[in-house]
Amino acid sequence: MIDGENQLTEQRAMEPAGTGWERDLWFDDDLSKHPVIRELRLAFPDDLLDAVRFRNETTIYVTPARLRDIAMYMRDHAQLQVNFLSDLTAVDMLTLRTSPRFDVTVQLYSIPNRTRLRMKASINDGQSVPSLVPVFNGANWMERECFDMFGIFFEGHPNLRRILLQDDWDEGHPLRKDYPTRGWKEFPVYNKERTVKRTKTRWTGRGV
Amino acid sequence: MDTTRSEFNIMDSTQTDFSGTLMVEDEHELESGERVMTLNMGPQHPSTHGVMRVLLKLDGETVLECDPMIGYLHRGTEKLSETKRYAQIVPWTDRLDYTAAPQNNLGYVLAVEKLLGLEAPERAQYWRVIMAELSRIASHLVWLGTHALDIGALSMSLYTFREREMIMDIFETFCGARLTTNMMEIGGFSRGLPDTLVEQIRNFLRVFPNRMKEYTDLLSANPIWLARTKGVGIISPEAAISYSLTGACLRGSGINYDVRKAEPYLVYDRLDFEVPLGQFGDVFDRYLVRVEELRQAHKIVTQALDYIEHHDSPMMAYESAYVMPPHMGTLTTAEDMQRHFVWVIKGFNAPVGEVYHAIEHGKGEFGIHLVSDGGSMPYRMRIRTPDFVNLAVLPHMAQGAMLADMVALIGTIDIVLGSVDR
Repeated sequence: MIDGENQLTEQRAMEPAGTGWERDLWFDDDLSKHPVIRELRLAFPDDLLDAVRFRNETTIYVTPARLRDIAMYMRDHAQLQVNFLSDLTAVDMLTLRTSPRFDVTVQLYSIPNRTRLRMKASINDGQSVPSLVPVFNGANWMERECFDMFGIFFEGHPNLRRILLQDDWDEGHPLRKDYPTRGWKEFPVYNKERTVKRTKTRWTGRGV
Repeated sequence: MDTTRSEFNIMDSTQTDFSGTLMVEDEHELESGERVMTLNMGPQHPSTHGVMRVLLKLDGETVLECDPMIGYLHRGTEKLSETKRYAQIVPWTDRLDYTAAPQNNLGYVLAVEKLLGLEAPERAQYWRVIMAELSRIASHLVWLGTHALDIGALSMSLYTFREREMIMDIFETFCGARLTTNMMEIGGFSRGLPDTLVEQIRNFLRVFPNRMKEYTDLLSANPIWLARTKGVGIISPEAAISYSLTGACLRGSGINYDVRKAEPYLVYDRLDFEVPLGQFGDVFDRYLVRVEELRQAHKIVTQALDYIEHHDSPMMAYESAYVMPPHMGTLTTAEDMQRHFVWVIKGFNAPVGEVYHAIEHGKGEFGIHLVSDGGSMPYRMRIRTPDFVNLAVLPHMAQGAMLADMVALIGTIDIVLGSVDR
C-alpha cells in the first residue's frame, strides 16, 4: 500500500545553480522505493524512462506509445488504484530543449490512497499519443483542448476537434511557443483616411 | 508512430460542420416514423448562465444526444500568463470564475508559493480561509438562486442575492473591490485591515443561519422542486470518477473526495468541518450537498474568526527573498524608490521546476500547474478549472433526459462560463 508520498522521500530544497532544464539535479536516490515506480519497473521495464521528484511531487516519464497501457495498468492495479484523472495538458518545451518538443502531461490522483502522480510522455511535432478516453472518460474534453491549443493528435479519440477556438480557426495552435501572443494575422488598421479633418489647436491657457 | 494530418480527416476545418459532430443524423428515421429534430439551445439562452451553446438532437421531447459548444468567452488566460510576471497574473485569475474570485486568487497564489517554497504567516492563512469560505458561500448562493430560477422558483434568487450582497460588502471592506477582488498576494497580505471588518463578518454570521432556513423552507420540501430534481440527471459513482468530476458533482454521487480533507492546504487540518456526501447522485442530492456545504462554510468562518480575534501576528512573510519588501520610504527617499521600482519592474526569478497545486474551489478541484524555467514569468501555466471538466458530463447526463430537464442538468453542474472558457 502507498503510505503517502512524503514518508518515502524527504523534500529537498533544491534550487539548481544554473538556469535551464537540469532535471538530474532533482533526482532523488530513494525514488525507486516509490510504489508506483516499483510496480511499473516490474511491469513495464523498458517504458519507465525517468522519474523526478520536486516539491513533494513525483513525475514519471514514460514511452508515448505505452501511455494508455500504463494508465490502464495503474488504474486496475489492486494496490496502486490510480483511478482519477485530474488533468491532462501539454507543455511546449521549444526553448528549453531541442527534441522532443512536447511533454504531454497527465495529472493522476488515487482517491483511495490520496496520492498524486504526474505522468509525462515526450513527443515531437506530428507524432501522436494514444488517447486516454478508453481509460478515463474525462480525458475527452481535456484532449480536445490539448489538440486545440497544441496540435497534438490523440490516437483513438472519438471526436478530436477544436473545443475552445472556433472550428474554422486557421491560425494554428495558440499555446505553442512559436505562436505570437497577438496571433499571426495582422491587425486591421482603422481610420487610415481621416474622415474628420484634424485641426491644429492652440493651447491658450485660458480654458478656451 | 508517425501520423500525418491526412489520417485525421475530422481535423480538417473544411470538412467539419456542426451536424457532422454528432452520431445521430438529421435524416435518421425513428422507429415511430418521426424525424429527429435538431435544436439549438443558446448561445444566449438564459439558463446557460453566460454564452454556451448546446446542440440537441430530439425525438419528440426526449434528448437523444447533446453537444455543448463552448469557447465564446475564451480570452487566452494561459497564453497571456506566459507574458506576465508572477504577481501580475493574480488579477487575471479574478476573471476566471467571477462569482468566487478570491478562491481563484488563492489557488494561483498557493501554487506560486509552493513553487517558491515559501509559506504565508499563520494569521494570513486564517484570513485566506475566511475569504475563501465566504466566497464559497457567495458562489453557492449565486448557484442556488439561478438554479432555482431556471427550474421555476423565481423568488429564490431574490433571497440569495440579498445575502450575497452582504458578502460583497465584506469583500469591499477587505480589499476595496466587490467582484474582481485581486485579493491575495504572494506571501500573505501586505495591507492593514479596517477595524470594522471583524464586526461586519460577525454580523453576517449572525444572520446567515436564519436566512439559510428560509431557503430550505422554500425548497427542500417543495413538491414542485422535488418533482423537478429527484431522480433527474443521475450520475453513478463509477461514471463520476471516470468523468473526473469534482466538487458537489462527485460528492453528490457518494464519492468522498474533498481536497480540503484529502490534502489539506492552509490551515484546514486544524478546523472542524465535515464533508457532506450524497446518496443517489441526482440533482436533488447535489442540491443537498451544496446547501450543507453552506452550513459547513459558516462553521469554518466562525472558527477562523475566533482564532483571528485572539491571535495577533504579522500578515506578510517579509523574511522571504521572494516577497516585495514594505515600502517604507518609497515616497520620501530616492534609494527606497529605486529599490521599489526595480522590484515592481523586474519581479523575482522563481526556481526551476514544476508544481501542481489543487484547492477545493466552490465548484470542485481548481488546480494550477506551473512550469518555471527560472525566469520571472511562468514558462507555462495551466489552469484546471472545475467546471470545464464537470461540463463534459452533460452529454452523458442528457442522454435520454427530457428537454425540460436540460435547464436543471446545466444548472446542477454549476458552471460559470468565464471559468469554463478561460
